[in-house]
Amino acid sequence: MSTGIDRPLTKRLEATRSLRSLIKGYYEELFRAADEGRPSAWLNVGVPCEFFYAMDIFPFYPENYGAACGALKITPQLSAVAEAHGFSADLCSYVRATLGTVFSGEGPYGELPKPTLQVSSMNSCIMIMVWWRAVQRHWDVPTFVVDTPLVREQSEGINLDYVESEVRRMVAWIEEQTGRTLDMERLREVVRLSNEGKVLWSEVLDLRRARPCPITAADIFTHMFPMVALRGTPQYVTHLRALRDEIKQRVDEGFAAVEGERYRLLWDNLPPWFDLKLFEDLAGRGVNFVIDTYTQAWGPRYMGPIDEADPVRSFAAYMGAGFLNVQIGRRYDLLAELVRLYDVDGIVFHSDRSCKPFSLVQVELRKRLQEDLGVPGLLLEGDHNDPTLLDRGRAWSQLESFLEMLDARRT
Amino acid sequence: MIRGDHETPAAARVGSMGSAHSSSGAAALERLRGVGSDPLAELAAIKERTGLMAVGYFDSYLPEELIMAHGLAPYRITVSGREDVRSSEFIQGYACPAARDLLEQSLRGDLALLDGVLFTRYCDSLRGVFAVWDSEKLSPFVDLVRYPTVVDTPGAVTYLAKELQEVSDRMARALDAPLDERTLLDSIVACDRKRALVAELAARRASRELPLSGADYLAVLVAATTMLPDDFTATLSTLLEHPPAGEPGDAVPVVLSGTTFDNIALATAIEAAGLYVAADDLSSGSRWYGVRVGASLATGAAGAQVGDEEKSAGTFTDPWEALAYAYLSRPPCSVKEPSWPRADHLVSMVRASRAEGVVFYLTKYCDSEQVEWPFLRDRLEREGIPVVMVEGDQKGEGSGALSTRLEAFREQFELGGELS
Repeated sequence: MSTGIDRPLTKRLEATRSLRSLIKGYYEELFRAADEGRPSAWLNVGVPCEFFYAMDIFPFYPENYGAACGALKITPQLSAVAEAHGFSADLCSYVRATLGTVFSGEGPYGELPKPTLQVSSMNSCIMIMVWWRAVQRHWDVPTFVVDTPLVREQSEGINLDYVESEVRRMVAWIEEQTGRTLDMERLREVVRLSNEGKVLWSEVLDLRRARPCPITAADIFTHMFPMVALRGTPQYVTHLRALRDEIKQRVDEGFAAVEGERYRLLWDNLPPWFDLKLFEDLAGRGVNFVIDTYTQAWGPRYMGPIDEADPVRSFAAYMGAGFLNVQIGRRYDLLAELVRLYDVDGIVFHSDRSCKPFSLVQVELRKRLQEDLGVPGLLLEGDHNDPTLLDRGRAWSQLESFLEMLDARRT
Repeated sequence: MIRGDHETPAAARVGSMGSAHSSSGAAALERLRGVGSDPLAELAAIKERTGLMAVGYFDSYLPEELIMAHGLAPYRITVSGREDVRSSEFIQGYACPAARDLLEQSLRGDLALLDGVLFTRYCDSLRGVFAVWDSEKLSPFVDLVRYPTVVDTPGAVTYLAKELQEVSDRMARALDAPLDERTLLDSIVACDRKRALVAELAARRASRELPLSGADYLAVLVAATTMLPDDFTATLSTLLEHPPAGEPGDAVPVVLSGTTFDNIALATAIEAAGLYVAADDLSSGSRWYGVRVGASLATGAAGAQVGDEEKSAGTFTDPWEALAYAYLSRPPCSVKEPSWPRADHLVSMVRASRAEGVVFYLTKYCDSEQVEWPFLRDRLEREGIPVVMVEGDQKGEGSGALSTRLEAFREQFELGGELS
């Protein structure tokens, strides 16, 4: 929905320029690795890229690629290709977009190179596993699933032992597939860099507590890429340090990402990658989403530092209790904590058709948070990647009504 | 033989199946039909008759022996097929309708007789229902079995065996129902026996020796996980000893493939299109009744010594490991890994039942089946087996569109032309 104002309402971060360069370099390396016959692996975000950097296997994240398709608004065309192959239009829009590329060879970067292997983990959704399965069947690429049974709160006891055995099984399988050996010292070096970056990311998230908030939700979602795909590399640390410094400077200067910051809101779930402008349009109404739940998946509450002394066990603990592998109690606790820490006026629950584990607890969470903490919530129907599943006009009306309700609470 | 004359009533096409020729067989069939059509009434009767507490579950990967070992009545919560009224107050409409149905039953108060419910992850919709169930405390006891997804590793067997014991401990404390090791072994025997009988029924249907309709067969499947095992075994034994008379008729034999499928009215609608459900590839059917826990238990169980080699061959002294192994070794659902044995299983069901085609029932919003469908379709086409996919929400008696699609599928067999 247009605000009637042409100039950007929010000021872009300088670090966004270097981010573009990082992404460009990442994709160039993907194709270079394929040209040079170096191994590459398709991973889901629940599989730590640190193992792969330590083994010089290029890690590629189709979820990240899917988001790129979303940002370019080409998911519907790619989805049509997948649907023509018999895949349902009700499937996750990341899956439809990626399969569309796999089947057609078309997409933002052209034909993607076939990976050497694929690894998925069960710590986010069933969809991931069957997505990789579809690619495996089409490309006949060796595929491994790391089993991480759903837990209530933590991975511990027999569950942690099992997940650790699964991680070790994964490493052995990768070694067998590639002929490369995991050097534990090299893994520790990667982990050190990974941990360094996580501290910086944690600081970035904390800096958003400032009033006024120094960045927007669009800023933080855009800058997630290094956390997903580059953890453990020197450029990841360099970028995050620059990002942290720039945001800290903004806080020191009292910079407001949204002028007049009237509403401090919390965004739950993935963003609509095809419509990050929604956040800018809302800035015109004085709204800033000062915190969100999605970026917390890489934050200290879910992805704390990996123990260098025993990285395999430590990664197992992280994978076993990954952000979407725990139950409603932890989600509730996280939301309640964020509401308090970031002093938010309300929560927008993005009911994302393409992410059932994230979404299907939102109705209950909204109800409980309203009852327990008095924090109002809006359930906004949409999708993270398919623009045809977001009724922008309806969403805007719902948001307007929500803001009016927040105003009424203030009087 | 000319099949499926448009003028012929559906009942005639599926022959006179279901009319038992002896009073005891007829009574057994009526009993099973009754339980199949109203499993909750049977649950109430069990509780009234025995005074047992009851624990429900939804996913047929959950070993009912675990529940029985505590002196509790196991009850598989079947899909009611009734309209949703209140579930949208708690969960979004794009959750799988079968999972929503489970929640709806609880909100309707239908499941008030359950003293506890055990969930596994199974799928992303069901875990959403678990979250609501847990948060709203919809049953006095609710627990999550941290079930493996990867089913073909020794580590998964060892882990699941331990996990089942941890759940057992929690259930014992919560319901004040201690585990009885002897009852566990007895339960394994009882459940194996009933599953073997269901397998026998399925085999005799597949050979057309026992021309029970597909709807009645589904009623038996529902009854199998509703009635107490000994009661069910006695009833089904009577039916098998005194089977219904009749001819299969000229309906086109098909295999019904999908996930859990409990809607007998919907099965009737499928057969009304001139098809005969000769066999199944269902999570609640042939992918379940092949489970044999006893076959994995070493002779003399408790005292026997079993080495790693025997374990890898599927022989255990520990009943928990035997349970884990047997349930993980069943033909997999699409939510498990690896999934490829499912396609082999489906093809084998077609061959064994001399079915001429497959009806793949895709439950709306079922992610894993949506991805499995193109693969199964291609596999069946390579095998020269015609297949039709029908999508639905497992509600009521199906839709006009479903009937039209199925009738068109059946007509292709009459024409004898190329099928797609």
